[in-house]
Amino acid sequence: MTSYFTLIFILIFLPLVLLAYTVVPQRVRAYVLLLASYAFAWIISGPLVGFMLVTTVCVYALGLGIKRIFAQRDEELAKVKKGKRAIKASYAQRARRLLVAGIVANFGILIALNYLGFFSELASPLLGLFGWQTPVSVPSIGAPIGISFYTMMAVSYLVDVYRETTPADGNFGRLALFLSFFPHIMEGPIARYSQTAESLWKGRPIDGKALYRGMLRMAIGFAKKLLVADRLNLYVKTVFGSYESYDGGIIALGAVLYTIQLYCDFSGCMDVSIGLGQLFGVDYPENFRQPFFSKTASEFWQRWHITLGAWFKDYVYYPVSLSKPVKRLTTIARKRFGNRYGPLLVSGIALFCVWLGNGLWHGAGSQYLFFGLYYFVVIWLGGFVEPSARAWASEHGIDRDAGWYRVLRGVRTLLVIFVGELFFRANSLGDGIAMFSRILTGFSLRSFADGTVFACMSRADFAASLLFIPLVFLYDLAYERGHDLRSLIEQKGFVVRWAIWIAIVMTVVIFGAYGIGYIPVDPMYAQY
Amino acid sequence: MRDQIIEILEDINPDVDYDTCTTLIDDRHIESLGMVSLVAELEDEFDITIPAVEVVAENFNSVDAITALVERLAEDDLD
Repeated sequence: MTSYFTLIFILIFLPLVLLAYTVVPQRVRAYVLLLASYAFAWIISGPLVGFMLVTTVCVYALGLGIKRIFAQRDEELAKVKKGKRAIKASYAQRARRLLVAGIVANFGILIALNYLGFFSELASPLLGLFGWQTPVSVPSIGAPIGISFYTMMAVSYLVDVYRETTPADGNFGRLALFLSFFPHIMEGPIARYSQTAESLWKGRPIDGKALYRGMLRMAIGFAKKLLVADRLNLYVKTVFGSYESYDGGIIALGAVLYTIQLYCDFSGCMDVSIGLGQLFGVDYPENFRQPFFSKTASEFWQRWHITLGAWFKDYVYYPVSLSKPVKRLTTIARKRFGNRYGPLLVSGIALFCVWLGNGLWHGAGSQYLFFGLYYFVVIWLGGFVEPSARAWASEHGIDRDAGWYRVLRGVRTLLVIFVGELFFRANSLGDGIAMFSRILTGFSLRSFADGTVFACMSRADFAASLLFIPLVFLYDLAYERGHDLRSLIEQKGFVVRWAIWIAIVMTVVIFGAYGIGYIPVDPMYAQY
Repeated sequence: MRDQIIEILEDINPDVDYDTCTTLIDDRHIESLGMVSLVAELEDEFDITIPAVEVVAENFNSVDAITALVERLAEDDLD
């Protein structure tokens, strides 16, 4: 078992967990889920799961430590009438030390397991300038499944405890389950403690409605992944693996198909995760909101991997923007450059931190670093261009809400996204640059006319993609227009409901890209 | 205070009816950059400090919520 998309998970692991969850008394159900979650992680990562336990113990102890400090503060505050600010500041400083220790420890583990090799590679030419050499090659022991996800969740818990927006949890099992619950451990969503911990621990009975809702959501996720994503993998893998053999047209299509593959893979996996959560009475936050209907790159990131963006906004963007030195800079810049451009100029500092973090979060590689900085430049510059574009449109009497103008903006945003994903998927930054230049200098449609394109993926797979990709588009279009298709299906009678579910599952079974001729693809974000 | 806050908001995004809107953040009338400007201006205008922890939708979704936040922080500063 390597993921949710395996027969062992669907036919053995999940039914066993559901059965155990149902037959045990309600007070024990959460422990069944905890045991299942650690078993799931152990099957995939073996003893490396120990790191997840270390993180849990760490934030559990530090959270209680912070709670104790604040309790002492409250006792002291109750005794005095004046000088409360000084007391608050002194206790906040003590609590902050624990918070910093927790952040350093947890990101320390993440960096040690995921990034040391990359940083030593980056550092070696620098050290070389001074005549030094990187001492030894850094050994890698691998990292447990989900480390990038549960570390973000653990840090957000600790910060929220420090901010006193979440009470420190004295129940070790509840905190452990919040961090390790198997539906999110592969690819998120990066939930907050306040969103899932309590409802997970309740061990709500499984009712027919929730069961259907979860199973429908999971079936849609399987459809996106097996009907679209894993099929497109054939084309993407071939083109990105040996781009030297192909012209710009084939590579450009590769960038487009990879973007669709990644969306169907990642959002499909999110459908499965959210559906699994629903089975056990837990509502995960949504991670996608029809991202390809965005008008700007900035909006795209509010609709794509939403929980990661929200994490960076709450724990990096605002804390940096509202830190004393940056606020001081903002005040100076506002006086000098005005209310619009002043803050925008200074926002570059916080945006840079966000996108550096976002790029590196995706992995230890120069292409990910480039990917993050690419979006930093696009979004920051976009802020400067936007007022001029608005003014230009009103000067020329152009309605920015007119259909054709929105389509133009949408197409421009798609191009930005395709280029970003090309670099993201490239095997290295060098490959990304080479592929991009080939699109610009060697673009040709000849390979489509003479059939070379079918060497990358068969005609049958192209035909299937031409059928299923528009279906995904229509599904998203419905949601974009405010039609909640899943709710509509859920409201149908028993026979219609289940007939639809069976039809989706049968389509996946018959037309799914698995078995002979296909390569099984593990959920793509699980590697990050 | 309410009128001063509306004036600040109109400077950031003039296309909103601030008297009735209760979804300033949820419907993205104020985005993250506008939020930073808003916080800076509120701090200047009312001589308060708004920590990052207070920058949540509940505190900024309507003029009433912002007014309540400013009043609360001003009281805190008197302690």
